[in-house]
Amino acid sequence: MDRAELIARLTPIIATYAQDKDAVASINETTDFIKDLKINSANLVDVILDVEEEFDIEIDNLSMERMLNVNAAIEIIEDKLKTK
Amino acid sequence: MIGNDIVDLEQAVIDSNWKRKGYLDKIFNNEEQFMITSGICSSLMVWLLWSMKESAYKIYSRETKIREFAPLKLKCNNLIIYNDKATGKVSYEDEVYFTESNFDKNYVHTIASTKQEELEKVRVKITDQAPPDYKMTNPNSVSHHGAYLALVYL
Repeated sequence: MDRAELIARLTPIIATYAQDKDAVASINETTDFIKDLKINSANLVDVILDVEEEFDIEIDNLSMERMLNVNAAIEIIEDKLKTK
Repeated sequence: MIGNDIVDLEQAVIDSNWKRKGYLDKIFNNEEQFMITSGICSSLMVWLLWSMKESAYKIYSRETKIREFAPLKLKCNNLIIYNDKATGKVSYEDEVYFTESNFDKNYVHTIASTKQEELEKVRVKITDQAPPDYKMTNPNSVSHHGAYLALVYL
């Protein structure tokens, strides 16, 4: 799965919780979940649970700590898919 | 340093389903989950513990400039609830933050500080009609959720 495909599958998940809907339209690897998309921190848990379901992976606590932007999310998903 | 966090309980029902499978495990340790599931006000306990963690994290991230999403590393303890108030501590790595919370049927609000005596000195303003120029009043810590704005002055 390439990065573009990963972003395409990730986007609808983060769009659900983004309060800044305009920022969703311009999502790229540097997009920050909280600063740019204004995702409520209590909803970051939902993003993580949705990603786990979508990609059938388990995100450990250490990975979760740094999952604050699109780039980190993609790195973590790629990493977990590799070790599946 | 002061941190504060407000949870609009009506908004929280719309935003978050904490009963979702796996949700509590990502945020709360066994002890905290026991407090949530053993009481009668589970939902209030979820947001009380959450606001304690958030208010402490705000101090930590401001002081260290480190951003991370590590709710399990923030551990709530010494929680004492009386009427509509609560006091407690949150530990995060080697730091300890003292917390004081207030709640009613509309919101839960927590202030945190590294110094317990500081909690008694602060002035808190909670409003559902945020004045547009509130930043001019130089609040020490600001939290916004749903209909509510909480401002803390030191």
